[in-house]
Amino acid sequence: MVLSALIWLPILGAVLTALMPSAKGAKATAIATLSAVVGLTLWVSRQFLLTEGGFQFREALDWLPNLGVNYTLGLDGMSLPLVGLNGLICWLLVFAQNASAGRSRLLMVLLLLTCGGVNGAFLATNAMLFVIFYELELIPLYLLIAVWGSAKKEYAATKFLIFTAVSGILILAAVLALGWLSGGEQPVFDYVQLRQQALPLPLQRILLLALLIGFGIKAPLVPLHTWLPDTYVESSSTVAMFLGGVLAKLGSYGILRFAMPLFPEAWAELSPWLALWAGVGILYGAFAAIAQKDIKRMVAYSSIGHMSYILLAAASGTALSLVGAIAQMVSHGLVLALLFYLVGLIEQKTGSRELDVLNGLLNPIRGYPTTSALLILGGMASAGIPGMVGFAAEFLIFQGSFSAYPLPTLMAIAGTGLTAVYFVILLNRTCFGKLDNNLYYPKISGLESIPSLVLAVFIVVLGLQPALLLRWSESTAQSYGSAAFLPPPVIALHPISHD
Amino acid sequence: MIEPILPPSTHEFADIIHRLESGGAMLPDTPENLMQIIGLYKAYAVPMDFYWRDLLYIAEQVFLDPLPAFKYFLPEEYLELPNHYAGDQADLRIWRGGATAHPELRQFMEKGELRRSLPKLAHHLWHDRINMEFAEECMRAMLWHRNMGGQLDAYLDSEEYRHNADRAIRAYFQFNPVMLAFYKIFPDMFLEQCRQSTMTSVLGLFWEIMAPVFFEMSDLYDEGKLTSVPEAMNFLVNGIFAIAGRPIYHRVRIRGTWYDIVPHSKGFTWLYEAAFPYVEAVFYRTSPFRGTKSYNAQAKQIPADQNDFHYGVLYADKFPVGSAGIPPTLLHQDMFHFLPPYLTEYYRQHCRGEDDMLIQLAISFQRSMYCVTSAVIQAGRAALLYPLDDPNPRHRLANRAYFEGQLNRFCRREYGMHQAARLKAIQSQTYR
Repeated sequence: MVLSALIWLPILGAVLTALMPSAKGAKATAIATLSAVVGLTLWVSRQFLLTEGGFQFREALDWLPNLGVNYTLGLDGMSLPLVGLNGLICWLLVFAQNASAGRSRLLMVLLLLTCGGVNGAFLATNAMLFVIFYELELIPLYLLIAVWGSAKKEYAATKFLIFTAVSGILILAAVLALGWLSGGEQPVFDYVQLRQQALPLPLQRILLLALLIGFGIKAPLVPLHTWLPDTYVESSSTVAMFLGGVLAKLGSYGILRFAMPLFPEAWAELSPWLALWAGVGILYGAFAAIAQKDIKRMVAYSSIGHMSYILLAAASGTALSLVGAIAQMVSHGLVLALLFYLVGLIEQKTGSRELDVLNGLLNPIRGYPTTSALLILGGMASAGIPGMVGFAAEFLIFQGSFSAYPLPTLMAIAGTGLTAVYFVILLNRTCFGKLDNNLYYPKISGLESIPSLVLAVFIVVLGLQPALLLRWSESTAQSYGSAAFLPPPVIALHPISHD
Repeated sequence: MIEPILPPSTHEFADIIHRLESGGAMLPDTPENLMQIIGLYKAYAVPMDFYWRDLLYIAEQVFLDPLPAFKYFLPEEYLELPNHYAGDQADLRIWRGGATAHPELRQFMEKGELRRSLPKLAHHLWHDRINMEFAEECMRAMLWHRNMGGQLDAYLDSEEYRHNADRAIRAYFQFNPVMLAFYKIFPDMFLEQCRQSTMTSVLGLFWEIMAPVFFEMSDLYDEGKLTSVPEAMNFLVNGIFAIAGRPIYHRVRIRGTWYDIVPHSKGFTWLYEAAFPYVEAVFYRTSPFRGTKSYNAQAKQIPADQNDFHYGVLYADKFPVGSAGIPPTLLHQDMFHFLPPYLTEYYRQHCRGEDDMLIQLAISFQRSMYCVTSAVIQAGRAALLYPLDDPNPRHRLANRAYFEGQLNRFCRREYGMHQAARLKAIQSQTYR
């Protein structure tokens, strides 16, 4: 029942938060709920068997057995880190809310609902259940963008809705086809069964393409990314944090969980092109980020590039690259959440996100030295500087992918260098230089800095001790790596310790 | 009220020109501005009381000490040194208070910011002291920017000065053959050190007057007798004229004997040899070597002509980051210790309160120095041109040309001077 609790507790918490008589009570309820979710995740991780590559803590409940749609949940090394990331970021987002601000209660309710939905998608072991949870978070997110966004929020929300709806339709169609074409009397949507069935190659190609486009929109991958810059930029920083930190991972999770293992022959056939696609996406994201003058848009484009690392890892399909891909999802989530949070704080206090306007934020008396220092740290982590979580993830991806696809991997490595370029531009313009004498920026309180400090601690600790992140997914990656037909793992992982 | 008889000025700062023509200052006349500048004068006067005493001590007694490690350890003799413009025995009593070191200064020197009586050296090493570095930086600016008018500058290169300095140098190193040998080899180096010592004395004598002026202004404000910015400025103008003729000199005491290097008898006076060069060097020019900005000389960000330097307090960046130069971070730290309660409370209510008080203070200091500069401009006008209420339009036109010429220094586009000048900023109360 513990996995169900991870889904339904936030949803129940959303109801209680909505019913609370006072704003402070609502916030306390939301924080308590998410604390329970984080606590449960920690408990689950304590019980999690590192040697087991398959699903653990399985729960099954018949729902619509005739249609093959059942309430089945499971947790493996791919979903556990993401569930943890989801809980952590949602907790920080709720913590950062000003209870007395207008409509903050609604925001927290929607966040809790989305949190539950996202956990559901990560934990579902029935493909249709996954689709249902995948679609469930669409409406709360649309509202989160449309209500709390900036000037062009309606446009951004509608664009997001259309793109995500198309993504959902494609995924739904692929999953339905997968279930119906299983050959049995009843459609099969159970994930374990789906992995065992063999489809003809032409059919695999069609379904894989549908899933790739569907999940590629969500991730997003170039050129399916055009909703992202508008949505991230027009959303409030809270929503951008959630979108970049958690939601985008649904796309990459879908690729790793469904697209890659369910159509192994088609995947093997397509993977060289997918690797090249990833390389192009990484470079495109980096160059587009370099060209930006708006720091939020710059971070948004950086996200596009970094999500393509996961595609490269998936295309390579080695156990090592897959561990790197999972680590990259967490790393990207933490770093992007930190960057969006800091950019949001800076925008809130200075009223600007323009590189040409912001200057000298490191000033010790009137600037934001802590925020700027954390921004530097976030930039370093995003650029894969050793000692930060980004390094561990990207290094594993490069290491695992180079033997299979050297050229795309080199493109990705160049992309990392370009990441450093645009972050140096960002940091040089915003943090260094001198503050404008004619402007006054209000103080950022210690309380406002807490979410970014917490994220920074995770980024550094997981960077210094990557085993804390990697160990959860090693067994799962082994099983997925071998499931992918091409290419075989070149570098074996170290034996897993059981202590 | 002065009736305007000229058509309005078309200058970029026409409003300020009109204000100067009607007897006002560059700083707008508001109670908030008055409170800030007077509070700052008081906070400035206390460390200034230390500055002038220590500068005279350095000029007169430390002189050419090759290892002047204790030059900031002011002996009791100089703390007791009577100010010529305060106390019962004053030549001209400007301040009604005492002539010896100010009680607040004494108290601070005793316990410092730590509020604990520790050995002097401990306070010094902890930087819990009056920071003479700022005063020395001002002195160096005056020495470095020469040719700013007056006759002393030329005198420093004269044979007579060289002779006087030589006598003092030989006496000072009478029992030090090593230094005498060095003097033989590098005479100009010692002479330049002597000029620096002379400028130290000049600045000490300048501030000896300004400290009681500021104390008196603060007292008058507290008594409700100073009620507007123009009144404050006029007090300064009157003070400038009252003491304009104060002699400027430099003498050194070596083993109990006084040696005149710049004798009283030369007739150098306070206004032309100290006040005007000080304002020019410190308020306008200073140097681009210290402070917060990085200047690139190769990119021609630093003027080729020293006259165009614009790094003084009137152009200063309000965001110093810890340099000892000008913008005068250490001066701010000094003034911070002596802020009157009403100003501390005012700062607490604005911007980041306690956290950025030094910056708020820096801006008040900038406002107060624009007021002092206004006084100097008005004094220059009174000395060289015509009364503000002169009925002759041609005279008024000459006055206007003078004012416009002065304000042009804040409009010049070269080297971004117009952007660096804070004249426009201080017109607004929200510039904090």
